[in-house]
Order: sequence, then C-alpha cells, then structure tokens
Amino acid sequence: MQSPPDVRHPPKATRRWADMVPQLVLAPTLIAALVWVIGFSLWTLWISVSQSTLLPDMAYQGFEHYAKLWGSKRWTVAYQNLFIFGSLYVVGTLIVGTLLAVLIDQRVRFEGIWRTIYLYPLAISFIVTGTVWRWIFHPNTGVELALKDMGWVAARFDWITDRDLALYVVVITGIWHASGFAMALILAGLRSVDGDLVKAAQIDGASMPRIYRRVVLPTIWPIFVAVAVVLLQFAIKTYDLVVALTQGGPGVSTTVPAIVVYDLMFQRGQIAQGAAAAVMILVALALVLIPYAVWTGWQKRKEGTRHG
Amino acid sequence: MNIPFKTTLRTTCVAAAVLGIGAVAASAEPKTNMMHQWAQGSEAAAIAKLGEMYEAAGGKWEQTAIAGHTSNTLAKLRSDVVSGNAPAAVQLKGPEIAEWNATGATANLDETAAAQGWDDVVAPELLTVMKPTGSWVAAPMNIHRVNWMYSSKAILDDLGIDVPKTWDEFNAACDKVQAAGKTCIAHGAADWSDTTTFDSVVYGMDAELYRKAFQEADLDALRSDGMVKAFAQLRKMVGYMDDGINGRSWEQSMTMTMTGEAAFFLMGDWTVASANLAGFKEDMDYVCTQAPVDWGGTGFILNADSVVFFKQKDPDYIEGQKLLAKTIMSPEFQVTFNVAKGSIPARTDVDLSTGGFTNCQQKSLADLKVSVDTGTLVRSMAHNMTVLQKYRGAMMEVITEFVADDSISPQEAANQLADAVELQM
Amino acid sequence: MADATTHQEFDPLATGGMRRRLVSKAIVYGALGLFALVYLTPLLIISLNTLRPLEDIVRTGFIALPEAETMTLRYWGEAWGSFCIGGTCEGVSRFYKNSLMMTIPATVLSTLFGLLNGYVLSKWRFRYDGLVFGLITLGVFMPQQMTLLPWAFVLGKLGLSNTIGGLVFVHTVQGISFTTLFCRNYFVSIPDDLIKAARIDGAGFWRIFRRIILPLSPPIVIVTVIWQFTGIWNEFLFGTVFTSGANQPITSAIVAFSGSGTGERHYNVEAAAVIMAAIPPLLIYVVGGKYFVRGLTQGAVK
Repeated sequence: MQSPPDVRHPPKATRRWADMVPQLVLAPTLIAALVWVIGFSLWTLWISVSQSTLLPDMAYQGFEHYAKLWGSKRWTVAYQNLFIFGSLYVVGTLIVGTLLAVLIDQRVRFEGIWRTIYLYPLAISFIVTGTVWRWIFHPNTGVELALKDMGWVAARFDWITDRDLALYVVVITGIWHASGFAMALILAGLRSVDGDLVKAAQIDGASMPRIYRRVVLPTIWPIFVAVAVVLLQFAIKTYDLVVALTQGGPGVSTTVPAIVVYDLMFQRGQIAQGAAAAVMILVALALVLIPYAVWTGWQKRKEGTRHG
Repeated sequence: MNIPFKTTLRTTCVAAAVLGIGAVAASAEPKTNMMHQWAQGSEAAAIAKLGEMYEAAGGKWEQTAIAGHTSNTLAKLRSDVVSGNAPAAVQLKGPEIAEWNATGATANLDETAAAQGWDDVVAPELLTVMKPTGSWVAAPMNIHRVNWMYSSKAILDDLGIDVPKTWDEFNAACDKVQAAGKTCIAHGAADWSDTTTFDSVVYGMDAELYRKAFQEADLDALRSDGMVKAFAQLRKMVGYMDDGINGRSWEQSMTMTMTGEAAFFLMGDWTVASANLAGFKEDMDYVCTQAPVDWGGTGFILNADSVVFFKQKDPDYIEGQKLLAKTIMSPEFQVTFNVAKGSIPARTDVDLSTGGFTNCQQKSLADLKVSVDTGTLVRSMAHNMTVLQKYRGAMMEVITEFVADDSISPQEAANQLADAVELQM
Repeated sequence: MADATTHQEFDPLATGGMRRRLVSKAIVYGALGLFALVYLTPLLIISLNTLRPLEDIVRTGFIALPEAETMTLRYWGEAWGSFCIGGTCEGVSRFYKNSLMMTIPATVLSTLFGLLNGYVLSKWRFRYDGLVFGLITLGVFMPQQMTLLPWAFVLGKLGLSNTIGGLVFVHTVQGISFTTLFCRNYFVSIPDDLIKAARIDGAGFWRIFRRIILPLSPPIVIVTVIWQFTGIWNEFLFGTVFTSGANQPITSAIVAFSGSGTGERHYNVEAAAVIMAAIPPLLIYVVGGKYFVRGLTQGAVK
C-alpha cells in the first residue's frame, strides 16, 4: 500500500470551505449509510427485544424471542444451512471459477464466446435460476423423466426430493449462477501476473498445472479474498434462489435464515422474533467479518513494519 | 404520483360515464384499490369479474394482485401500514381479521351491514370470524370445504374399488391400488398441502380431538394418543405416495388423479374449479366425496376468503369501501365468484341449482347444512381459520417435516407438535 | 496492481512436444466445451419450451425437443402482449418501462456517488476514513428482509410510497455501498504522485476529479454499471412490496411463475416472459462482458 498524499495540511491561506469539499461530497453517503446501516440495525436490535407482533411496537419485552427462535427446529436447521451452504458455495464457486479462468487463460480461440457463456448466468435473476433448475432436477419433469423417456426405466436422479441431498442442489445451482463472476475476476488476476515469473518457471521445466498451483495462483490471492467477500454477501442474503428451487423443502431441510426472517416478520406476524432472527444473521456475518478485519489489519501492520 | 396516461384517460371516461348516468352522489366518487393474492388463472378471472361489477355500480376499480406467496401480500400490507398508506381493501382471513382489528387500523362496516341485513344472510359460522368484537370488519366472499377427496374414476372402475368411507377402508383401497402398480395418493408436498391432508386425517379420526388440538391449540390434545394415531395414519399415507412429491404443485397432483395415474387426491374444493377449467369431468374423470371419517357422519372443514377494509382519509375511498362491501355481498357476485372458484357463497340465501354450480358444489352446500345441524362443523387449521399464524406456522413446520423425514416416529411428532406450539406461547 | 500491458507473452499450450501439445489442447477444449454445455443447458431448456404447446410439456416434461408439427412462436406474442399477470391481461410489455425507469436512474446515480466517494476515500484521506469506508461497505451485507419495514417507514415519511421514485431511492442508497467499494479499490491503484503533482499546480478537488480521475475511470464505470444494472433489474422483493399494480417492475411481475399459484400454469408463455425479462441484463453482459473483464483486469477489485 502506498502512503496517502499529505492533504490534511494544505498550503496556507486556507480557504476553509474549500477544504471541506471532500467531506461534503462524502456527507450524503455517510448520512445515508448511518441511517440505513447503523440506524436500521439498531432498530432491528431493539425490535428483537420489543413486544412487536403484527406491527412494530417499541415497548420493551425482553430476550425471550431469541430463546423461542433457538427452540425451533426450523431455525436451527436454517442457521446450520447458512454455514454449510455458505462455505460450500463460496469454496465451490472459487474452485470452478479458477478452473474456468485457467482454461480460458490458455490462449484459447474465441475467448469472448467462452467468457460470455460462463458469465451469462449472473444476468439471470435468482427466481428464474431457481425455477429452471427445479425443472431440471425434479424427477417428474427433468433429467430423470428424460432418461426414462429414452428407455432407461430404472434411471434415478432425485436429489431435489431427498432431504439429505437437496441442499447440495441449492449449492450446485448457486455455483452455476456465480462461477462466471469468479472466473472474470480471477481471469483478470491471471492477466496481471508478471509473465516473466511464468517463463522462469517454465525454463525450470515445471509443468503448467504445477506452475499455476505454485507460482501463478498464490500471487493473486487478494483476488480470491475479494471474490469470497462478494460471494459471502450473496450467501447470506440467499432467499429467492431457495424459494424458487425448493421452497425450503423437503420438510425444512433447505430452509435458510432469510426465509425464516421473512416468514416470521411477514407471514406469521411475529415481527420481534423475526427481528431476532435478523440479528442472528448479523452475528453470523460478524463471525466471518471480524476475523477478516483483524487479519487485514495485522497484514497491513506487518507490511508497514517491513517497509518502514 | 405516477399515474400512467392510459389510466388517467380511463378514469376520466369512467367518471364521465358515471356523472352522465348520475348513479352516484356528486360529493364523493367511490374509488378502491383492492390488494389480494389471486394473480393467476381462474381466481384472477373471478376477481376481474368483481372489478367489472364494481365499475358497473359506479366505482373506480383498481387492484394490486400480489403474485406468489401469501407472505408477499402480508409484507406489502405491513409495509403499507407502516408507511402510513393503509390499503383500502385487503384479502385477509381467519384470526388475522381479529388481529388487525385489534390494532385499530380497520374500518367499521356496521352501517353498510345493517342497511344490507348481513346478519340475516351470512352463514352463522362465519359471524365470529367477520365480527371479532361484535362489529363487522370484513366481508366474506365464500365458503370453501377443505375435506374433499377426489377419486380417479378409471382406477376405481378398473380395480373394482368402492370409494372408501373410513380410513381403514382407505388403507385397504390403497393396498389394492399399489398392488396394481399405480400410485395411490397424488400429492405435492409443501407445508400447507401436507397440513391440508393432516387436517382431514385428524378430523376424520376424531373430530373432538381436532377441535381441541387445532382450534384451541390445547397442548394435551396435541400430545395425545389420538394425535399419535393420526400421525401413524399420515406416515402410512406418505408410503402410498410416489417419490416425486417434493417440488410438485398441487395442480400437477390433481392432474395425476384426473388422468388415472393416481387413485386419490385430498384437497379443498378449489380443485373443482381447476379441474373444470382443465376440462376434466365429474363422474367421468373423477368422483368427489368427503374425505374418510371414522365416526360415520357428515363432516365439514370450513375455509373462507374475506376482504378487510382499512381506515381511509380520502372520502372517495371511504365511499368506495362501502360500495365494494356492497358489491362483494351481492348475490350476483357471490354466484359468479364462487362458480369460478369451486366454493359456495357465504350467503345462505343463494340458490345453487342455477347459475352453473357443479354437483360437487351443491353437495358441499348440502353437507354444510347437515354438518351444522349435527354439530360436526370445524374450521380449517391448515388454511388459517383457527389459531394465530404463529401457532399454525409452528404446527405446519412439524407436520411437513414429518412427511419429509420418515425417521420421525408418530410419537415423536406428536410431542414435537405440542412442544412447538408451547414454545410460541 | 500491474498494468494490463504486461500480459504474459507466451503460449502455455505451446510448450512440450507436438504430441503433448495436442493432448493438452484437447483437454482444454474438451473441458471448456463440457462446462459450456452445462452452463447453456438451462437457457436452452427455457428457450425450447417457449416453442412447445402445453400438452407436450405436461406429457414429456421440460427436457424434450419441440415437435415439428406443433412448434409455434405464438407464446412469445402472448407473453409480450396478452398474458394475464396480476389481474391485467397485457403481458410483460407494460412492466418493461417501469423496470427501465427504475434501473437506469438508480444505476446512474449510484455509479456517480460511487465514483465521488471512491475518489474521496482513496485520494483525500482524513481521520477515520477507514472507519467511514468500512461503514459504507457494511451496507453490502444487510439482509433485505430486515430492511423492509424501516424502508417502508422512511419512504412513507418522504412521500415516496408506491412510486418508482421510491424504488430508485432505495436502490441508489443500497447500491452506493457496492459502487463505493469497487471505485475506492480501483482508485487506490492510481499513483498518488499524479494527484500530488496536480495539487502543486494548483488544481483543486473538482479539477483533479475531472482531469485525472474521470479519464481513468471508464473501466470501473463499466464494472459498476453492469453490476448495478443487473442487480437492480433482477431484484424482486422491494419491487413487490414498495410498488403496486401498474407501477411494478418486471421481475416482481414474473415472480408469479415461481410460486405455487392456484391457477393452471402456462409454462410456455411463462418461459417466453422469463426470457424477455432477462434480455436487458443479458444484453449488457454480452456487450459489456469484454469490458467487464478488462475493467477488472485494471484493478477494480483487490
């Protein structure tokens, strides 16, 4: 990281107002962020201990909404799913994205076409993605039926109706949707790697897979972190994909926290308990982001001491 | 405001027409915007009829059809109320009417009701729901029957099976159907449809248990041996379904029975509307009877749609609410709407023998009367007519999990059911 | 971050002997083809089903080729102009305008704010700027369901309930988190010496922005525009809850197709409507995809 230019102390003859321009430019965003990030979060936090039922009600009640939430099987399954789905989705997308990026990086012909093919799912809404993949995965309408129609009567492809496998269907669909994005970023990273590094390794007689594994990919790790953060955001917000794909079923096996929040707050008129669930999502987020922030801080300091 | 040019034009035309005819007092031009979730198919068509009648009566009609899931409708309702723009009319039902009434946001319809004599014509079993504190806050649109069973005529004839009247007979019939290599129960799993089936099972095995457990959320009843038996029957029935139940819609399940792929389909009478629309014929493709009961009488699990009115400031909308309530309660609308929806009118003074009601619908009305006389009538838990949504939701979670996961024993399920409800108390 | 021109000047597949080269080429193209097949299948399935009559779909499922004698394009017409959605039988065409009126202003505004914010946060450091940046980017993670009611309250206070303007407002505010994140990280890689030199020449805040930052921005503008446009276009929850009837964006209108509605389903017309709804974001990706990758290459995200 380069050190910032010294703009805190501009030359004398200060035009005070002009000095404030950067802050003024930032002000609307800052106010908006204060309201909708901090304000809305605090509001949710308060509502989660309030007496709200059908409509928000600011009167204090206590923490029993959290106890009730954690007493419900659907919520514990959903919370667990958030971590399982989140990690498989992020890791899976990174792996597939890397693979695609490396393949495209082999100076292939018609690069633009390949790239567009892998990137287009990102343009499709989650609702449509979920619906189409449900058609494909459902034994009565999709692959299984097609195989049976072709004469393979014993064909079975019913993950989506199997409560132990249905979550993986959600993961696969999520990877299909996002891996193009990962590919684009990783490809961008690969293109920025110094060619000499690779050449040197080639002269040493290393094979291409080995060069990628040992030389190229390690140099672009910040990109993996950036992609992971964006994917994480998708994972935490996942709602419409699951609603369209499995509606949280079979049973409650593919329910995710966002569905529970929405159901409690809106379908069931338990706004306080729904807010408690939303707070728990924020907690899950903090569990991931705080270590990340600490780690980047530590990295920065380490770099600082190395250079300084 | 963002009113498209076309709408403005139409408004002007309607207004002009209205003024020309002079049907409405010049002071307020009745207007409404009804929020509902009937966005597609026969139901959307039925609502379109309501709009036509409303406009014919001199009102300006607008609707907000919210597609997909009920939670979207309720999310919109809540956010509209929070933003200070409570909608003029909303499709709401069951205990929610009382809940919204308690917030003080709903309008009072007593004046219109008295003028129209609603108390005399509305089916008595709906009164407590529509008048939670003694005043009218909702206009009922229909009465649905939930405990219907549709049997495939082809399979019954082929295998020489009589329509089962008790759950034992039902199981015996299913064994035969399965032995013949067909699916016995057509089903599409979802929390509400699993619970619809379970409504019929519990009610059919023990109506008193149903009342205690599903209308009063009595914990002992939820945990009782009777409930364990009902779960055991449900487990058995899951075994009579094929393995494609997850992710299948209820219409697809209906078609399976109508085309002779599966023998039975347990679902409310909206099936009749869809079956008619799809061209399936009663007594040729399917037979409709009440779902099995072990206590030998005539039973009726009731579900009703209704419209709730929220307080408005604009006199045009207040006037519009009165007109809408009047239109909904008019015998003409009750006939048109219910013919299209498969249900029966919420008014008891409508003659079903004319106007296109099917045999199933007429049977529904006859059974309703018998059921009221013999005291067997109950309201549907699955369709949100009994307990608060938080209890209903908790129960539906357990029931749908039980259907999806065969490692849960009936005993465990009954305990989970009681625990889940108790947790929300 | 290295400049795009240092792109490696060698052909990885050109190493090793002739045979080995052929084998690796085959592996690479085989893998690319296989992936492409999987990626294209859903699109292919939707497209084919727009041509098939309902009876065919019900009989043989979604994965089947259209039959020559029953194949027809008329479902496209129905989807565009006469299909009943939300009680009005005018197809998806009437929702198109809403979506454009929502997406374009929100994309433009959030991109503009993102550019300015990114410029300030990367080049005009001040006390606690890291904290401010963190706060703004935290917005990226806010679960939508949680913000619905507070937004409803805010929109009500601002008099924006049930308007497309309200949606533009919400999407702009939420979008700024993303655009600021992208732009700030991009501008960080512009050498500070450039700014310093300009300041010595007496250039002020806006002049530096116009003369130095903006000319270097096209790649990142493309990235944020693509990202924002597709994200806002495809969002349905706010559209459903904050607007009604004729004001709804297209994605909210087609949500109906995913739900377990209680009418009969017209899968073929719905499939056509789904494709129509996806055309603008698809177009953006197909046209802008090249620049998307190029923009990212030049350091949009690090």
